[in-house]
Amino acid sequence: MRLEWKKASVGRRNFLRGATALGAASMLPMGWASRAMAQEDGVLRIRSYGDLSTMDPAHSVGVVDENIHASVYNKLIQYKPGTEWGWQMDAAAMIEQADATHINFALRDDIGFTNGHGAMTAEDVKFSFERIIADATESPNKPDMGPLSHVEVTGEREGTIVLNDPFAPLWTIALPYITGNIVSKAATEAAGGRIGTDPVAESGPYLRASWAAKEKTVLKRNPDWKGDAPVWDTIEILPIDDENTAEIAFDAGELDLTRVSLGSVERYRGGVPNGGALIENPSLYYVWLGMNLDHPKLQNIKLRQAIQHAIDVPSILQAAYFSAAAPSTGIIAPGLIGHRPSELVAPAADFAKAAELLAESGETNVSLTLDVLNKTEFTTTAQIIQATLAQIGITVEINLLESGAFWSSGENENLQLVLNRFSMAPDPSYATAWFTTEQAGIWNWERFRNEEFDMLHKAASAESDNAKRDEMYRRAQDLMEESGAYRFITHEATPVVHSSRVAPALRPDGLPLLRYFGKA
Amino acid sequence: MTDIIADTSKSRSELAIIIAGVARDPLGLIGLIIVGSIVFSAIFASWIVPYDPIAMNIPDRMQGPSGTHLLGTDQLGRDTFSRVIAGGQVALKVALPAIFGAMTIGLTLGMIAGYGPKWLDNFLMLLFDTIRSFPTVMFALAVVALVGTSLQTVVFVVMATSIPTYGRVARTQTLTLRNSEFILAERAMGASMARILGVHMLPNIIGVLAVLAAMDIPTVIALEAGLSFLGLGVKPPTPSWGVLLKDGYALIRQTPWLVVGGGLPIILATLGFTFLGEILRDVVDPKLRKNR
Repeated sequence: MRLEWKKASVGRRNFLRGATALGAASMLPMGWASRAMAQEDGVLRIRSYGDLSTMDPAHSVGVVDENIHASVYNKLIQYKPGTEWGWQMDAAAMIEQADATHINFALRDDIGFTNGHGAMTAEDVKFSFERIIADATESPNKPDMGPLSHVEVTGEREGTIVLNDPFAPLWTIALPYITGNIVSKAATEAAGGRIGTDPVAESGPYLRASWAAKEKTVLKRNPDWKGDAPVWDTIEILPIDDENTAEIAFDAGELDLTRVSLGSVERYRGGVPNGGALIENPSLYYVWLGMNLDHPKLQNIKLRQAIQHAIDVPSILQAAYFSAAAPSTGIIAPGLIGHRPSELVAPAADFAKAAELLAESGETNVSLTLDVLNKTEFTTTAQIIQATLAQIGITVEINLLESGAFWSSGENENLQLVLNRFSMAPDPSYATAWFTTEQAGIWNWERFRNEEFDMLHKAASAESDNAKRDEMYRRAQDLMEESGAYRFITHEATPVVHSSRVAPALRPDGLPLLRYFGKA
Repeated sequence: MTDIIADTSKSRSELAIIIAGVARDPLGLIGLIIVGSIVFSAIFASWIVPYDPIAMNIPDRMQGPSGTHLLGTDQLGRDTFSRVIAGGQVALKVALPAIFGAMTIGLTLGMIAGYGPKWLDNFLMLLFDTIRSFPTVMFALAVVALVGTSLQTVVFVVMATSIPTYGRVARTQTLTLRNSEFILAERAMGASMARILGVHMLPNIIGVLAVLAAMDIPTVIALEAGLSFLGLGVKPPTPSWGVLLKDGYALIRQTPWLVVGGGLPIILATLGFTFLGEILRDVVDPKLRKNR
């Protein structure tokens, strides 16, 4: 065969015309196809900031796994969607606090496990809870179970949770969150006691149909589910780490729901594409500036108080959080027991007072380092702190750290100032736990040691009277602030956008409860 | 004295020939203009910038380009144009000492490896290969973890990771020259190793390394920007093109001007130094010059 090469009659204009037509032809159908896919009735597409790491609740690494676990497993109780924290029955037909250390429960009789593992029994509850606290399991979530002793099985579907000590967070964290997921004893034991990235048996309103790492997790309606039927036939969870990318996908109609960056809130307030809506939820996270009380440069309480008064929180919220977050009064967010209505040091800087305190301290030529995680909101915040402290004559050098180095700062005895942000579960004990004396140098980077605080933390966890708990946690935060080691900044916010065809079911902090999602 | 004057005038005329040769080529001229502008703005940054590059003005944050702020403002209300100019100063403060240091050390070690005994050559090659086997960013992470972030740390990281490149080129050139007749003649006349390397070999190697250095500068500038992007570079509030890019990336849906401000000078510097290096190579290499 002979090939003959001829000069193509493609001029510049023809080439441009052809290229434009080709581009348009290739892009338009793709756009239509993907939109049609996103709008396919019965398929809910949501974004998760991370990918599934395990189907084992004992080794769950947090919200990302829990989104899926909460859909394919059941708990005795689940969080209730809405704006106020609360719980509702799930696998439990009855649950009651018999006394301070005993909780009786009875399971529904219509919940079964897949793969032929039979009905859910009290033995499954016992197995699921006790394997979390068993040393052999090495569960990182063991602390969430607090002083759990064991579960007594009193009938096929009845049992009693027995605690060593009273533990109020059982109702707010242990049972309705990660550790509350009930797995099948038979299936887990048959799998050698460990569940990997594939479920061994499911029981929830959804089943995990497929998982493509870093691509997509697909949940399909469980045909054997006897409870309230979930509204969506299929849920596709797409792991998208970057919020800018997720926003572009949402705006293009590829997603039905995503968390958006605080910087985009103003834009979405002006209108959400495709008739969608913006929901602005407060978050439970807490951000603060900490001062290492063990460092020789920070021994003077007047100096620490001067720093507290010189930091202008409104400027930080405007520049780093785009005015989409409110100032915090402590480590416990609004809506939780123990939230303080106001702080001891007002959010706005008082430079006159700060200068006065600095003069009283007798410290001159103060130069400090400020360690921050290398993320734009933190570096922006750090630069504002640097600028505002400079106004009273304190020089701050900012150390940017990558996450590995930053999160080992507990061991850094030379740490001086640190800008920090902790995640939080919906119980105040989860916040105070990190600032006790025994946490000094571990997660308590300020090395704050206060006997009264330790006592309050312990007593409040065991207290069942919410009014008393509230008072205790408020006092605990007063003690933190009085030490001069903390300048509370914000709890951030969780802005979420959703498409017009979705009726989202969110926790009060904006995190999704997928099984309760409805259609608009 | 007469000799010195004669030498100086000779080297001046050679430099003039090289500059004229570069300027004759359109790409070379573009390169010269871009590089000249970057160097000029870096040297005279404090006179050129309309605002203090680190002065915050939060109420004026995230503005677009205007007559007041040519490239708009960042999230802290700082003038982006002023930060771009000041960022150029940082880029050159890293690139020039790092390249000069790497070239000097690499040249010395490379010549010793090429001219010295075999065992020394093997040892130095092993050293170069060991250094080259470290990914730059991982190496930077380790150094930063040990000594913290600073301009000096960036210079050290860039210099340390660039030495093997210069060393290998210098060694190859030395190996090529070591059996040349003029070197053999010098050796027969009893010239010392220092004299042979310093007086006879160095002038024949330095040109190649100078071209390599010119073409390495954009790489180093991009590396500095990359390290700053990752937070391993200069400390805030020091402006750097990488920091501008990083902030710009995070805020790209709010204002695209930070990405433009950080990206454009990196593109221009890369183009400028590359054009200049390419044409410089053609001008200083007699073989290539003949083929032009």
